[in-house]
This record gives sequence, structure tokens and C-alpha cells, in this order.
Amino acid sequence: MRYITVENLAKTFTVRKKREKGRLLREKTEVQALRGVSFSIERGELVGCIGPNGAGKSTTVKILSGILTPDGGMADVGGLTPWKDRRKHVRRIGVVFGQRTQLWWDVPIADSFSLLKDIYRVPDADFRRRRDELTEALNLGDLLRTPLRLLSLGQRMRSELCGSLLHGPELLFLDEPTIGLDAVSKLALRDFLKRENEKSGTTVLLTTHDMEDIAALCPRVMVLGHGSKLYDGALPALLSRYDTQRVMTLRYDGDVDFPALPEDCQVSREGDAFRVVYDHERIPTAHIMSLLQSAGPIREWTAQPQNVDHLIAAMYREMDL
Amino acid sequence: MRAYLSVFRMRWKMELQYRGAVVGGVICQMFFGLILIALYRALYAGKPQTMPLSSVTTYVWLQQAFFRMLFASDADLLDKIRTGNIVYDLCRPLQLYGYYYSRIMAQKLLGSLLRAAPMLIFAALLPEGWGICAPVSLPAFCAAVFGLFLGLLCMCALENVTMGFTMRTLDSRGMQAMLNLLMMILSGNILPLTLFPDGWQKVITALPYAQLLDAPIRLYTGERALSAAPAALLLQAAWTAAIVGLGLLLWRSNQKKMILQGG
Repeated sequence: MRYITVENLAKTFTVRKKREKGRLLREKTEVQALRGVSFSIERGELVGCIGPNGAGKSTTVKILSGILTPDGGMADVGGLTPWKDRRKHVRRIGVVFGQRTQLWWDVPIADSFSLLKDIYRVPDADFRRRRDELTEALNLGDLLRTPLRLLSLGQRMRSELCGSLLHGPELLFLDEPTIGLDAVSKLALRDFLKRENEKSGTTVLLTTHDMEDIAALCPRVMVLGHGSKLYDGALPALLSRYDTQRVMTLRYDGDVDFPALPEDCQVSREGDAFRVVYDHERIPTAHIMSLLQSAGPIREWTAQPQNVDHLIAAMYREMDL
Repeated sequence: MRAYLSVFRMRWKMELQYRGAVVGGVICQMFFGLILIALYRALYAGKPQTMPLSSVTTYVWLQQAFFRMLFASDADLLDKIRTGNIVYDLCRPLQLYGYYYSRIMAQKLLGSLLRAAPMLIFAALLPEGWGICAPVSLPAFCAAVFGLFLGLLCMCALENVTMGFTMRTLDSRGMQAMLNLLMMILSGNILPLTLFPDGWQKVITALPYAQLLDAPIRLYTGERALSAAPAALLLQAAWTAAIVGLGLLLWRSNQKKMILQGG
């Protein structure tokens, strides 16, 4: 069932710059944050949204959460237009802005949660059940009576997420939720989101720069760049287009004269280990192997695809972002 | 309604975290009260004014006791606007003006009550000519308390207008410096409005700043007779309504054209 429909969404910001020397008026430039973005999301779907800084990801989230009014286009979320039926719409959604905080700095987080309960008019029994569930799943039990300012970044992020889910939203916007988290916290957070999605059927739109987040959570990914949608589909299919390079690392037994490889190969050396980066579609791996083996006995050898960040960087380069 | 009460309670709780600041504030305001009264005593020793000295000292103490009602702004809230953390408040199912109004009111009410109580006790213990006098009558006292409440409502509305403008300028310091100066003079904080020339008083007492503390204090000291109380309270209420209206318009237009940058 279709839950979110967005058509031709457009938004322009005016940015004022300091005037140059000798000019009377300051300069104004228009930045087109979104130029006609369209997509649709099914109920219960987990969709990732990536793109370089300034691509329009956050603007999309802010429009869909009723904060900004777009200059053009339409959006329908479960039958409502976010910026027109703002109050009705926001009651059903939860938002996490990874770089911002919604909890009160100087008071225990339990008090912030009670305030959220009153804001969303959650009945007492529901609130208690939900809070216990969430604090258990996010491992927050001991922290409820601690003021926010005394929590670590990871603890704070988990509390923020808990706050955004207390009213049981149908739709969850996550704007860089894993920013600055350590590996353990990231894994726990992803795990939690996945379960929450499966259990409550929450629709999730996740924007991030962390490709691992997307790979772990989102079967579908959208790429935004310069305010337009550039790709919409599965992550592996997207990556396979750019996944042309292999990285080979090897060490020889003893000193050898490193063989001459085809021109396109990049070779670097670190201690006694060689690193060869090549395009496996143009130069067969077997060919490179035979050249390398001719130089002497190989002690150790690995070959890997480029890591995801490199692929994304290659993609952004090709899309001219 | 519950959300608005709830944010009031939260801000109240937050204010209670800063008990040290209350002690500091009380001492500072007592010092100011004593200095101002010493000045007026010197003035009266040179040339007695029409208004009795005891009324002036009462005026000064009440102004000092409720200083926090006038000159306190919610640094947290201003910070939210500046940094963009306000984004979270914008995606709540709330009427934002009312939400911030409750928040501002909690701070101003608790902040001034916590300071006023010890200060008024202190001022009541001072000898005649230095301290605070009892109200002229019980009805006058009741009218003054009601007037003080209207003054609080008016002040919160003024503060919320400042917040609304801060949404546009992002930094409130310039505007606040200017508005605070206006408020200090026109509310009677520096010089009791009762000591201004009569012609000036006619104009100044009609302005919104005189509705905050001056109007209730005049009812308390009997400077304004009880029979004139309804008119005074009505003027306060009218200004409050007008400023609330202005604030609502400002917030509505802000919400339409707002931009939130980054992240």
C-alpha cells in the first residue's frame, strides 16, 4: 500500500553573502535545494537516502515532517499534506535529527519523556508500556533519572531515538542517526531499528553518510544530488555498476624484482607488501596473477572489492556531484 | 492544554536547578534597592517632593523584588533558535506561540517569586523611610496582585514578540539591549514613574511598559485610588491582548517563511 507520494517537490533558498569590496549591496544567490524530486514509499518500507552534503536530503525530510513549506510540487503522507495539515500530520510521525537534540539539557531524561507524552497525548498505560519496552531495547533503564548533560554521545543518541518513538509513530524520519557513534552503539542501533520496523511496521526514511547503515538496514536506496533524484532501487544493483575495481595485496618469499604490470594497474608498496589496484573487467585477474607469479613464490595473497565509500565516491564523481 | 501545562512544569523544574543564581540575584537586587533608596533620601533631604518618601521606597522595593519578571530571557530558547534545535519544536503537534508562552511564563513567574519572597521580607524589616510599607487597604492589595498577574501576562507577550523577531535576526542581543533600555526607563525600574513630571507621566503610563509593574505598584501604594482600579486593569488587559495578537501574527508569518539551514 502506498504511504508516501511525492511529486515534483521544489525548494529554493536565498543565501546572502557578504558584499565584495567596493560594492554597495550585499550579494544574494539562490540555491535550489530541491528541483523537482518525485518518489513513493510503501507502508512499512525501510528506505535509505544518500547523497553528498548539500544534496537536498535534509530539506526533503524537513518538508515531509511539516517544518518547511516547499515552493512547488505536492506530497501526500497517509492522506495528508505535511505543510497544510501540519498538526494532524506530525502527531503520527517521529523524527530524529542526529545533530540536534530534543531532550532538555538540565533535567533527567525521564522528565523530557513525560513532556513528550503530554505533547503527543499518549495515554498513561500506553506510555508506560512503550517506555519500558523502549528503555529495555535501547538499554536505557539506568539512565532515566540522569540529566541529559551527563550522558555520553551514544547514550544521548539512544535517548533521542527513544524520545522519538514514545508515541508509536507510523513513520520515522532518521537524519544521520549514527553520526559519531562507536561500533557497538551503531550495531545496537541498527539492530533495534530493524526489529522496530519488523515488529511495529513502522515506515522508515533514513538519510545518512554511513553506507554501512544503508547496507544493513535498507533494501531500497535513493540517491539525491544537486536537488534531483539520481537513482532509486536496490543498493547492490547500484554498487555493481561502480564495482569495477579490485584491490590485491600480496607478499613474496624473499626479495624479488616486481614484475611489470599492464599500464592501468596502480601499484604501491608498504614494507614488503605490494598493493595492486586494477579494473577486473578490462584486465582479467588470471592474467595479473600469472604475471605476479612469474616473479617468484608468493607467500600471502588477498583480493577484495573496493570498499563501499570508494564506490560511492566514484558514483558521485560520475554523476558530477 | 496538557502539553502547555507540562512545558510550564518542565521549565519550572529547570529554573529550580539554578538555586545558586537565586541567592546571587537576591543579594544583587537588595544592594541596588538600598543604593537607590539612599539616592532618593539624599534627593528628599535637599528638596522634598510631592510624593511621600515612604511611597518611593515601597516603589523601589517592589520594582527590585520583581526585577526577574522584567529582565530575564530564556537563554535556552534563544540558543535553540540560533542553533536550529528549534527544528524539533516545529515538528510537534502544538501551537508554537502558546508553547513558548507557557515556557516563558514559568521562568518569569518562578524566577520572580523565588527572589521576591526573601527580598520583601527583608524590605519589610527595614525601618520606616528605608523599607517597604503595607498596602493602603486589603482591596487595594487584591487589585495590585491581580494587576501584577496581568503585568506578567503582558511581559510574557512582549518577550514572545522578541522571540519572534529573533527567529528572523537569529541573534537577540542587539534588539534586547535596546528594548531593555526602553524597559528600564519606561517601566519605572531606574526612576519611579511617579517622580516623572506630570505631563510626561500622562504619556508614559499609557505605554505598555508601564503596565508591567508601575500600574500594580500604584494600586498597592494608593497612588492610584481604588475607584480608578478597573480602568487601570482594563488598560493592562487591552495592552496584553494587543501584544499577544502581534506575537501571534509574527509567529504565523515566521512559520510560513522560515528557513532552517544545515544538517
